[in-house]
Amino acid sequence: MSKFVKVSLVLAIAALVTVAAGVAAIRSTAASDTLVFGAAADPVIIDGALVSDGESLRVIDQIFEGLVGLKPGTTVIVPKLATSYAASKNGLAWTFKLRKGVKFQDGTPFNGQAVCANFDRWYSFPGPLQDQAVTYYWNTVFGGFKHPATGNPGPDKSLYKGCKALGQYTARIILSRRSSSFLGALALTNFGIASPTALKKYQADAGTVDSDGVFHPTGTFGTQNPIGTGPYKLKSWKVGDKLEIDANPTYWGAKAKLKRIIFRPIADNAARLQALQTGEIQGYDLVAPQDIATIKNSGKLKALDRPAFNVGYVGINQAIPPMNNLLVRQALAYGLDRKSVVDSFYAGRGQVADQFLPPLVVGFAKKGVPQYTFNPEKSIALLKQAGLTPPVKIEFWYPTSVSRPYMPDPSRNFQAFSASLSKAGFQVVPRSAPWRPDYLGATQSGKAQVFLLGWTGDFGDPANFLNVHFGSKTDQFGFDNPKLFDLLTRADSETNIAKRTALYQQASIQVMKFLPVVPYVHSKPALAFQKNVQGYAPSPVSLESFATVSYSS
Amino acid sequence: MLRFIIRRLFLLVPILVGLSILIFLWIRALPGSPAQALLGERATPAAITQIRHQYGLDKPLYVQYLRYVDTTAHGNFGTSIVSRRPVTTELRERFPATVELSVAAMLFAMSLGIPLGFLAAKRYGTIFDHVSLVGSLIGVSTPIFFLALVLKYVFAVRLGWLPSIGRQDVLLDASHPTNFYVLDGLVTGNWSAAWDATKHLILPAIALGSIPLAIIARSTRAAALDVQNEDYVRTARAKGLPPRTVDSRHIFRNAMLPVSTIIGLQTGLLLSGAVLTETVFALPGIGSWLANAIFNRDYPVIQGGILFTALVFVFVNLLVDISYGIINPRIRLS
Amino acid sequence: MSVAQIEMVELDAAPSGGLWSEAWRRLRRNPGAIVGFSFVAVFVFVGIFAPLVAPYSALDQHLELIAKGCCPGPSAHHLFGVDDLGRDEFSRVLYGARSSLIIGVVAVSVALTAGLVVGGTAGYLGGIVDSVLMRAMDVMLAIPGLLFAIGIVAMLGPSLLHIMIAIGVTNIPIFARLLRGSILAQRENDFVLAARAVGVPRRSILASHILPNAISPVIVQGTLALATAIIDVAGLSFLGLGDPNPARPEWGQMLTNSNNYLQNAPFLAIIPGLAIVVSALGFNLIGDALREALDPKLRGRE
Repeated sequence: MSKFVKVSLVLAIAALVTVAAGVAAIRSTAASDTLVFGAAADPVIIDGALVSDGESLRVIDQIFEGLVGLKPGTTVIVPKLATSYAASKNGLAWTFKLRKGVKFQDGTPFNGQAVCANFDRWYSFPGPLQDQAVTYYWNTVFGGFKHPATGNPGPDKSLYKGCKALGQYTARIILSRRSSSFLGALALTNFGIASPTALKKYQADAGTVDSDGVFHPTGTFGTQNPIGTGPYKLKSWKVGDKLEIDANPTYWGAKAKLKRIIFRPIADNAARLQALQTGEIQGYDLVAPQDIATIKNSGKLKALDRPAFNVGYVGINQAIPPMNNLLVRQALAYGLDRKSVVDSFYAGRGQVADQFLPPLVVGFAKKGVPQYTFNPEKSIALLKQAGLTPPVKIEFWYPTSVSRPYMPDPSRNFQAFSASLSKAGFQVVPRSAPWRPDYLGATQSGKAQVFLLGWTGDFGDPANFLNVHFGSKTDQFGFDNPKLFDLLTRADSETNIAKRTALYQQASIQVMKFLPVVPYVHSKPALAFQKNVQGYAPSPVSLESFATVSYSS
Repeated sequence: MLRFIIRRLFLLVPILVGLSILIFLWIRALPGSPAQALLGERATPAAITQIRHQYGLDKPLYVQYLRYVDTTAHGNFGTSIVSRRPVTTELRERFPATVELSVAAMLFAMSLGIPLGFLAAKRYGTIFDHVSLVGSLIGVSTPIFFLALVLKYVFAVRLGWLPSIGRQDVLLDASHPTNFYVLDGLVTGNWSAAWDATKHLILPAIALGSIPLAIIARSTRAAALDVQNEDYVRTARAKGLPPRTVDSRHIFRNAMLPVSTIIGLQTGLLLSGAVLTETVFALPGIGSWLANAIFNRDYPVIQGGILFTALVFVFVNLLVDISYGIINPRIRLS
Repeated sequence: MSVAQIEMVELDAAPSGGLWSEAWRRLRRNPGAIVGFSFVAVFVFVGIFAPLVAPYSALDQHLELIAKGCCPGPSAHHLFGVDDLGRDEFSRVLYGARSSLIIGVVAVSVALTAGLVVGGTAGYLGGIVDSVLMRAMDVMLAIPGLLFAIGIVAMLGPSLLHIMIAIGVTNIPIFARLLRGSILAQRENDFVLAARAVGVPRRSILASHILPNAISPVIVQGTLALATAIIDVAGLSFLGLGDPNPARPEWGQMLTNSNNYLQNAPFLAIIPGLAIVVSALGFNLIGDALREALDPKLRGRE
């Protein structure tokens, strides 16, 4: 036999054995002042005004702070960089008293000028940044820009009118109309206050627009030099690999307990659990319900609950007959075995939804909501009453490659629902598409007749649930119901809390009578950590600080 | 020789033009828009129109194509819609990860496959031959991601011998001048970083290398069998040369010729496999990056990335052809 | 490039006529071929007669069976346990053979038909047509197969038919090149030259003389491509581009779904995984044996 062949075979085997033996010996354990968190993806950019995705917001939350914040674990608004605030009688001028002695991470002082500089920056975003895909929250909350590009909303549409620094520690923000959700929106991570010096120095809004009209950012503010007032500051970021933040030694409040947090992007859910088991990460978000038992039984790990602040629903497009018929929609509601799905697939973390609003949200109706308990006979009878002969054919859509807090495994929900519908006089034609953009495209453009979808609240306000979905005519739901639209508009502009609540309760019941969707679940998403990780306070809107996190000995 | 290379390079032109047209048209035929990809549940019709305008997608097709050719020819692949980073930057970071993975997979496949195939040929018809043949067939019959999942579950999660994800332990402070992590560790003298990066490569490389391993073993066996019966081998034996010399000088060397072609041809296979392997092991390479770009309708990444990988593929095959010509003087390059 | 494409390189030029009887004789004596044929026979039988063989329906859900968590393992009632919707895994694996069989056959037929047309035209007409067609094939080959398939499914939308077309299309260049190569080799053969000399029309030369002789490597390749098709479909499912009807039992999809339950119910992943390996192995063994049986260079070694 050839010597070369022999030698290489022996070498190959020897290499494998050594490697196996060598790696068995060395297992990395986390340093006690560092925590590695498994993120689903990299942030887009570390600049709150320019993002709308959870992975970006998670990191931005640690580095930036807004005028107001939320009490940990709730949606209750509390002072943050402002120590107090008050609205004028007509509700158009808001005066914020600012916290004294706060410094940005670059050493520059936080004051009224800084606050106004931030608002002016957002209001004056150049054309390419006015895009909804870039500045979704400014668009949604404030709705207009100082110098709108063609087709974009201008000052006439803007809720924001101006900002004035009154001395060092007072800032006044002028609005163009009354708003009941302005203060709640300011607690969004997106409106964190950045160092004006750094924004300028690192050219946060600078970029070139090429011949295609594409904006190329050239500054380094959002990638290497995000400067806020938060308990952590960015150390380094390598896309696809890791993002490190270090404790801010000059933080005005209680200093962060851990020296360093590392965010590591791991796209696959099962891979995140495995990495937690191997100790490569110390925590991750959006645990799949079926993994909860594994985590609880492991002895090394634990699961934390987020309060239910979402809704999973079966959407209906009334533009596609026979869905325009209320009887058919009722038949659909009676034909969905919602209890079985919630009981079997949410591992005790879901409650059957009888209305669109989660119980935590103001406007949740405690009584008077029509109930649609699974009843195949009734469903068939309703279909016959509508003049149809069962089985009635419907196209039922569900997304692939996605796991949302309100539907951890869409395909599974879909299969159980189609089985129950086929008992209730429907014939289901399955349609699927990858979540983004195919599936969302199909539902939003009105292509999908019946579909699985859901919503997670951005802030604790019913408008963020009901008005967003049913406040106006959309292709997605394909109905025109002026009475409902009017009710929702009135509810949103009402500033008296009690009246507002009553209107929203009424609207919530109306929605369940009209059935533009059949809500089926409010679920409690879970986070998982190593057992010795302490001090993480899950929040309904996922505004969570790592500053209070530490290890028990 | 030089004429051959120039001629082959010249032949690349129609392929590249064809590719660019194919990719361009295909992207325009994809349903859905980047706005939906970016905004998810929150996309509005207005946002979609805006993004189409911003990315020039509302202009006539030929205008869009000419622009695309113009900018690409200047080495500008555009900016990713999703990450908002230049495609060339992302390529620079991710390409090394895939190359590193592929090289490790090929090293694994060759270091086991060539000796195995050669031994099987030497022992033609024996149990060893049959077992290795069937083994290699099982190798090509196993879905890569299935093997990857099993390997990961057993060796990382259950036994805890090897890391389950990524390219490097995040707690290590290592610098990465070249983005080839193993090389980086060696260059900067950071031995533990190099060793750590190697550990991260083992499982993915075995998963990705399993099919090439099977193919290399089989083609080595076939080539060695062919060569064994050639006249010059018989002559060498008849001359009374020691069997070892015949094996290494005549059989092995000549059998390696077809095998080297096979190795070159696997670039594409490795890239397909990398899509799955990188997904399972959360490796930031170009395979999973491109698959995600297709899902996200990240047009600039699809355009630039696929064109780039195709270029690499074509180029590697050109290199194989050339080296084949150099190794084998019997083939005249014309 | 797929495995099949690489295997292609190993294939030699077409064997000459009168080879089939000898090939058959050699096949019967090859243990690999016998094992392969029996795997495939079981696979095809189960695929066709699944409703008769399976103890349960593949679609009946029993959510009460998973009330205590997913998923109860093998038991006397459920040989392979039940899946995440309480369906009998054994029955689903049996029915899954049917999907895989259909997918494999249709995908390979697409590739084969298109490949034959392109390769045949290129090889027979030659000249500029040949150059253009072959450059087009080079373009297709330059895109990694799986990405190409993902692209096609993304463009057409996921459906079983589109998945089969996608896998088929990525395989066209292999068949086209193979057939062209073997036609070029056949064209200069004596019997073709003779037919041409006596004035047989070009089209009938192609149909009656060249094609039949050029086809044997294509058959070998087709068998191997069946194996890759089954594996590639599983890969597409893994990336979320599988059959849009998740209730329809399909091994790739079953394997992918079970990834979520790997920790609690590993059998749900292992069983469809093994089914894929075994059926792909069956086709590979047959393809391999056919290749050896049809390879003129190996003749006379026994």
